[in-house]
Parts: sequence; C-alpha cells; structure tokens
Amino acid sequence: MKIKPVVLDRIQTMHTSYKVDFILEANVTLIVGDSGTGKSTVFSFLQELAAENRTIKCYNYLDKKTGYKSAIKRANGKLFIIDNADILLDDAMRWYIATDGKNQYILIGRNPTGLMLNQEDIMELSSEKHNGITKFTLKYSMSSYNIIDYVEAGNEAQS
Amino acid sequence: MITVYKKKLSSRTMELVVMNDIYFNQYTVSLLDDRAKEIIRQIDHSDMLSPFSISSRFDGMALNIDKISTGCKTALNVLYNPDKVFDVRECGDNVLDVIYALPEGNIYCDYPLISFEMDEVMVYENKGKRKIDSYEALKDWWIHED
Repeated sequence: MKIKPVVLDRIQTMHTSYKVDFILEANVTLIVGDSGTGKSTVFSFLQELAAENRTIKCYNYLDKKTGYKSAIKRANGKLFIIDNADILLDDAMRWYIATDGKNQYILIGRNPTGLMLNQEDIMELSSEKHNGITKFTLKYSMSSYNIIDYVEAGNEAQS
Repeated sequence: MITVYKKKLSSRTMELVVMNDIYFNQYTVSLLDDRAKEIIRQIDHSDMLSPFSISSRFDGMALNIDKISTGCKTALNVLYNPDKVFDVRECGDNVLDVIYALPEGNIYCDYPLISFEMDEVMVYENKGKRKIDSYEALKDWWIHED
C-alpha cells in the first residue's frame, strides 16, 4: 500500500563530521540492511535533530517500557522514527502504522510483516566519505533473502 | 553447533534474552577475549582496541564498545553465554552467517531467520532436540513447527 509522505519528504541533519540526507518517498519507510552499517548511529543523529524539531519523535529499545504505543496513537502530524522496530512493534502496532494516514514513519528493523510495504518502500543505508564528511543517504534495498522469508512466512501464517 | 528455538521457553528451562543491547552492555562485555576481536572485525569492520573500546569504521575514532551494532552484540552474547537463549530478530544477514557458524549457542525467533551458509543446527521441539542439515529443511521446520 503506497501512500505519499504526509509530514516530510526529506530529512537532513549534521552531526560533527556526519551528514544525513534522506529522501522519503513513502509514508512508511523501512530501513533494513546488514548489522554494523550505521543504522543506529544515524538514529542517534536523528534523535538529536528531534530535540529541536517537535515534528519528529524518536523511539528505540530504551522506550520498551514507556507509553510509546499510546503516544503514537494520540499523535497527529508527526514523523516517528523507530529503531529496534522488530522488538518494539507487535502485530497490532504494525497494522496501526500501515493504516495511519495522520502520521509518517521511518522504521529501522528487518521484518516488514504486517506493514503492507512495497519492495520500493524497503531501503538500505548508503554511506560515502568526501572531504572528511561521511554522508548517509537511502538506497533501494536489494531484497535480502531473509526479507523474502519473512513475507512468505507471514503470508502462510495468515492464510 | 547452535540450537534453534521457535517457541519461548519457560524461564525455569532456559532464560530468553530479548534485549541484546542491554545484556551485552551489562554482562557479556566483561567476558570478552580475543575471540571477540575477529567477530567485531567481521561484522562491524571495526578494530577492538581494548576490552572496552573499538575504532569507528567510519572515521577511525576510538569509541566505547557499547557502540558496536546490536547484531554484533547478539553474536557475542550467543558466543559467550551458551546457557542462555538470545532473540535474533535484530540480526542482519552478516550476523546470521557468524552465529550459524558458532560451535555452540542458542537462538530464538518465531519466524525463519537462516544463514545461506548454514551447515547443520539442532532444533528444539516438543519431543526434544534433533539435527537439521539443510537450509530448506530448516525453513520448512520453522514455518510448520507448532
């Protein structure tokens, strides 16, 4: 299910020698990829951005016992950035996010089950270094075999 | 060879660790030895400078070891704590390759997460443990085991 971004179609920030420049094409963007590619590092930069931009709300594993689910359901016009999404999002929250037309989401995880994503909504981090600045952008995921497994398993479970 | 769990066990049987970041930061970090260096290099492309520091893969700066990836922490949790089961939902393909090659350890996930490079694993089911030695057979077990 493809919905255009309802809050931001681009997000940019700087953190010392790091630059983040994400072009957002869908209302729900799932960022996947190998471990150690910088996903949680980028999340920490976006947390910093959220401290001065009230439109952006960030959650990660440290929020597991907080009321992040009800905060999301009460929100309107927010961009939620959720790291450790495979741990934080249960089936009900995945359904809520997939059908939420009031807020926008960037999810960092691996499991697309229940999010009703198209292949082009699944992205990976790309990083390049130029003049001492490391720049993070998004690129389309090359569809790892395990993502296909998730979807197949999810489809079988639902049928 | 590692053992794969699809269902959550009672805490009396074996402890399941879901929050791999926290468990690593609080417990596993004190167990690290030279075996950790190769795993950190292989997964995060970082050098372990001391028991509590690494070099950043991006700019070479020294960082606290709590900055290694969640996937890398999970692999190290599995390696150094064979008496516990670790949730692997946050592991990338590069981490799965490492975990499936470990000589022992226990992992949990309720949907298939399999390394293409797997050789053989034990799976835990109601009747006990049994060995599976192919990707397709493991995937089939994972999807259909109740």
